[in-house]
Amino acid sequence: MSIADAAMLAVLQLGALAGVAPLLNGLIRKVKARLQYRQGPPLLQNYYDLGKWWSRSEQVATSTSFVHRCAPAGVLATTLAATLFLPVFSWHTPLSSAGDLFVVVALFALGRALLTLGGMDSGSSFGQMGSSREVAVGALVEPILILSLVTLAIGADSTRLGEIVRVAAGQGGSAITPGWILAAAGFAVVLVAETGRIPVDNPDTHLELTMIHEAMLIEYSGRSLGMLHFSALLKQAILVVLLANVFLPFGLTAAGTGGHAIAAALVVGKVAGVGIGLAIVESVLAKTRLFELPDLLGMAAFATLLGAALVVLA
Amino acid sequence: MSAAGALGVVLLVLAIAPAFALHGGALRLRVPLWIAASGAALATVIAVRVVAGGSTIALGLWSPAPYADLALRLDPLGAAFAAIIGGTAVFASVFGTAYAHPRRVDDAAYPLFILAMLMVTGAANVFTFLVAWEGMALTSFLLVLGDGDQRPRRHAAVLYLGMTHLATVLAAAAFFLVAHEAGSTDFAKMAGAHLSGARASVVFVLAVIGFGTKAGLIPFHIWLPRAHPVAPSHVSALMSGAMVKTGIYGILRVSFVLLGPGEHWWGIALIFAGCISAILGVLYALMEHDFKRVLAYSTVENVGIITVALGAALVFRSYGLDAAAAAALLAALIHAVNHAAFKTLLFLGAGAVQRSAHTLNIDRCGGLIHAMPVTGGAVLVGSLAIAGLPPLNGFVGEWMLLRSLVSLAGSPVGSVAGATAVLALGGLALVGGLALACFVRLFGITFLGAPRSDEAASAREPHPLMYGVLATLAVICVAGGAGAPALVRLLRPVATSLLSARGAAVEPWHGIALDTGGSLSPAVIALCLVVAAPLPWLAIRAIFGRTSRSSGPVWSTGVSFRPSMQYTGVSFSKPVRLFFRRVLLPERQVLVSYHGTSPLPRLVKYSGRVPALFEERFYLPARGAAIWSAGRIRLLQNGSVQVYLLYLMAALVTLLVVAR
Repeated sequence: MSIADAAMLAVLQLGALAGVAPLLNGLIRKVKARLQYRQGPPLLQNYYDLGKWWSRSEQVATSTSFVHRCAPAGVLATTLAATLFLPVFSWHTPLSSAGDLFVVVALFALGRALLTLGGMDSGSSFGQMGSSREVAVGALVEPILILSLVTLAIGADSTRLGEIVRVAAGQGGSAITPGWILAAAGFAVVLVAETGRIPVDNPDTHLELTMIHEAMLIEYSGRSLGMLHFSALLKQAILVVLLANVFLPFGLTAAGTGGHAIAAALVVGKVAGVGIGLAIVESVLAKTRLFELPDLLGMAAFATLLGAALVVLA
Repeated sequence: MSAAGALGVVLLVLAIAPAFALHGGALRLRVPLWIAASGAALATVIAVRVVAGGSTIALGLWSPAPYADLALRLDPLGAAFAAIIGGTAVFASVFGTAYAHPRRVDDAAYPLFILAMLMVTGAANVFTFLVAWEGMALTSFLLVLGDGDQRPRRHAAVLYLGMTHLATVLAAAAFFLVAHEAGSTDFAKMAGAHLSGARASVVFVLAVIGFGTKAGLIPFHIWLPRAHPVAPSHVSALMSGAMVKTGIYGILRVSFVLLGPGEHWWGIALIFAGCISAILGVLYALMEHDFKRVLAYSTVENVGIITVALGAALVFRSYGLDAAAAAALLAALIHAVNHAAFKTLLFLGAGAVQRSAHTLNIDRCGGLIHAMPVTGGAVLVGSLAIAGLPPLNGFVGEWMLLRSLVSLAGSPVGSVAGATAVLALGGLALVGGLALACFVRLFGITFLGAPRSDEAASAREPHPLMYGVLATLAVICVAGGAGAPALVRLLRPVATSLLSARGAAVEPWHGIALDTGGSLSPAVIALCLVVAAPLPWLAIRAIFGRTSRSSGPVWSTGVSFRPSMQYTGVSFSKPVRLFFRRVLLPERQVLVSYHGTSPLPRLVKYSGRVPALFEERFYLPARGAAIWSAGRIRLLQNGSVQVYLLYLMAALVTLLVVAR
C-alpha cells in the first residue's frame, strides 16, 4: 500500500469511526430504553450533547495544573491514534507495519493514565476515587485484553490486527475453536469493562458511589468534558469494531476486490448487532459490587489463559 | 590515544578522585563528584564505541602473583553494561554536586563505587571480577551506611552487607566450578569449558541465585526496599539504575558465555522467576507510601521483566533458534538501558522532592507541581515511561519482549515452553496494568491535588542544576522512545557476539523489525500522537468558535474544601489491595471504645498494614534459627583452657582417623 493510499484509508477510518461512534452509543441507549419500556433519548442525542458541550464555556478548579487542562486532548489523541491500527473495512490498516495489537492496548493504557491523572489533579476526592478504581479495574482488564487477542495472534503467527483478520477470514468456519470461543468471551468482558457498562460500571448514573468513569470527569466542564465524552464514545466504537472484525471476520475482503460496499455494509451490520447485544446484556444484568469485580474479571482472565494455552497445545 | 589508554585514564581518574575529599575546600566545591562525573562520561564514550564497533579492549593492570592477576577485557557485552553504569553515573554525579551534603567518607567512597562497578563489567578473569565485585559491595555499603546515626539506616546497611555477601559466595562458587573444569580462571578460556549437563545446571542455579540476589529477584530482594530509601538519592539512583544491572550482567555472562546452550528448563525457570518478581514487585510497590520504597520495589519489578526476556532468550537458544534468542536478548538489553534512564530520573526526582518538601512520605505531599513545574513535568515523563506507555522509551523493550513471547508461544518448541510463554504474556500484561496504577498513584498523590502538609505547601523548585539534570533525563526518555531503532542498532553487536544472530532489523521510517516477525515504529506512533493531540481541539474551535474559561474552587459537595478530604496513597491503592488480598494478606485492626453503656462509639482507632511476607515468613525465622544454633554452638566456648586443649586433641585424633 502506498503512502497516499494509507493516508486516504486513515482519513476514511478516522472519519467513519468518529462520525459513527456517537450514533452507535445512541443506538445502544435506544435499545436499552425500549427494553425497559421507555421511549429513550433520540438516536442523535449524543451529537446534540457534544455540540452543546463544545460550544459552552468551561470552568476549571483553581487547584488544577496543566495536567488537568491537557488531559482531554491527550486522551482523545490516544483514541484517535488507536483507530489507525484497526482493520475496519478490509484487512488493510493504515499503519500496518508501525504497530500491532500491543500498540493498541498500550495506547488505551496511555489514555487511561492521562484520564486518571486529569481526574486526580483537582484534588477532588470524587476524581481521585474514580481514578483509583479505574486503574485497579484497568490492571485486571489488561491481561484479558492481551490474552484474548494473543490467542488469535498465535494462530495467525502475527500480532498485526490486519494480518490476524486476514488469516481468520481465510479460515472461515474452521476458525472457531475452543480457544477462539474462550478468547471471544474474554473480549466481550473487556468490552463491557472498558466501556464502563453494567456489571462493571453504570453509564447512566452521576454521583453515585459505585461509579468509575463519571467520577473522573467530575471537575471537567464545557469543551474539555465534551472531548472526554467523545473519546469514551470513540473507544467504545473501536472495541466494538475489534470484536466485530477480529472475532467475526466474515465478509472482510482485501481492498480493491470490488466488495467494498458489501464489506462496509456487513461491518455496519455487525457493529450494530454487537451494540444491540451489549444493550441486551446490560439490561438483563445487575451491577456488581466493585469489590466483587475480581470474581468476574478473574474468571475471564483464566478463561482467556486457558484459551491461549489450548491454541499453543493444539 | 588508544582505547586501552583511554580506559586506563578513566580508571586513574576515578581512583584519584577520592584524594580530593581529604581537602576541605575541594570537598566543599564537590571536586570528587565533578571528577567522578567526567570519568564516568569518558567511560560511557569508550563503552559505547566498544559496543558499536563490536570490538574488545584488553588492559593488564597488576599481576603480583600467578593467581592474582588484575586484568580488564571489555567486550561488547560488558561494554553495554559499562555504558549503562557510566551514563547513570554522569547524571547521578552532576545531580549530587548540588544535592549531596559534603561528607568526607561519602565523597571518597562514591568515585570508587563507580570505578568498582565499571571494573565488574570489564573483568577479564575471576580474580578481577571478585575483587571489583567486593569493592562494589563495600563502597556501596559505606554509602548506604552514611553517618549511621539512625537505626533504620544501620539496619539497612547491615542487611545489605549480608545479602550482598550471599550473592558473592554463590557467584564465586559458580565461577570456581567452571574454572575447575576449564583449568583456568581467565574468562576467555573458561568460555571453552564444556560442562556436563548436571554440573552445568548446578552452575546455572548458583549463578541465578547469586547474581539474582544482587539484581533483586524475589525472594532475594529484601535488601532493596531497605537500602535504596536510606541512601542519598544520587546513590540510590546509581544502585538502582546501574548496580542491580551488574547482577543481570552476571547471569548473562555465566549463562550465555561460560555455559553452552544448556537445558530447556533453564530459560523456563528464569521466565517464572522473572514473572513472580515482576508481579509481586509491582504489587508491593503499590502498597508503599515512601517515594523511594515505591521505586525500590519497582526496580524488583523491572529486573523481573528483564529476567523474563533473558529466560525467553535462553529457551530459544536451547532449541537452537538463535535469531529469536537474539531478539529476546535485545529486548532485555534495551529494557536494561531504558530502565537506567527512567529509574535514575525518578530517584533523582525523589531527591528533589526530599530537598524541597522535606519528606518522602507521599501522603504528606500533594500539589507539588504548582511550585515545582520542571521537576513535576520530568517526573511525569519518567512515570509514564516506567509504566511502559508509548511513545516513551519504556514501551519499546516491553513491546519487543511481548512480541518475542508470542513467537515463543507460536514456535514449535514444545508445549511446556509454549504454555510458559502464554503464562508470561498474561503475567506481563497484569504487571503493565499494575505499573500504570502504581505510577499514576505515585505521581498523582505527590504532585497533583492540594498540599497535604505545610512542608509541601512551602516547597520550591530545587537548585537549577538539579532540575536541569531531571529535565535532561526526561528528554532522554522521550528521545529513547522515538529513537529506539538507533538503540537497537547500537546494541545489536552484543547479540551478534553472543549468539551469531542479529535479532532485529532497522527499517526505513525508523521502525524496528524483529527477525522472528513483528515490527514497531515508535517514531510514527509519536508522530500520530503529536498530530492528533492539538488537531481535534483546533477543529472544535474552528467549528464552534472560541469559548471563555473561568476558574473557581473545587467542588466538594457544598462544604468548604480541605486538603485532608483528598485520597491518600493508602486509600488510592485500596481497590488493588482488596482485589489481591489473597496474595498480599493485608492486616487491619479496628479498635472501638465506648462511653460507658452508650451504644455510640467514643473513639474508633483504625490501623492497617501490608506485611512484608518474605521477610516475616522466611527471613525472620531463618535469622531466629541462626541465632538459636549460634547459641547452642557457643556452649563449646566455655572459657576453660583445659577443655580447649581437649578439643585440639579430639580434632587431631579425628583427623588422624579420617585421613589415615
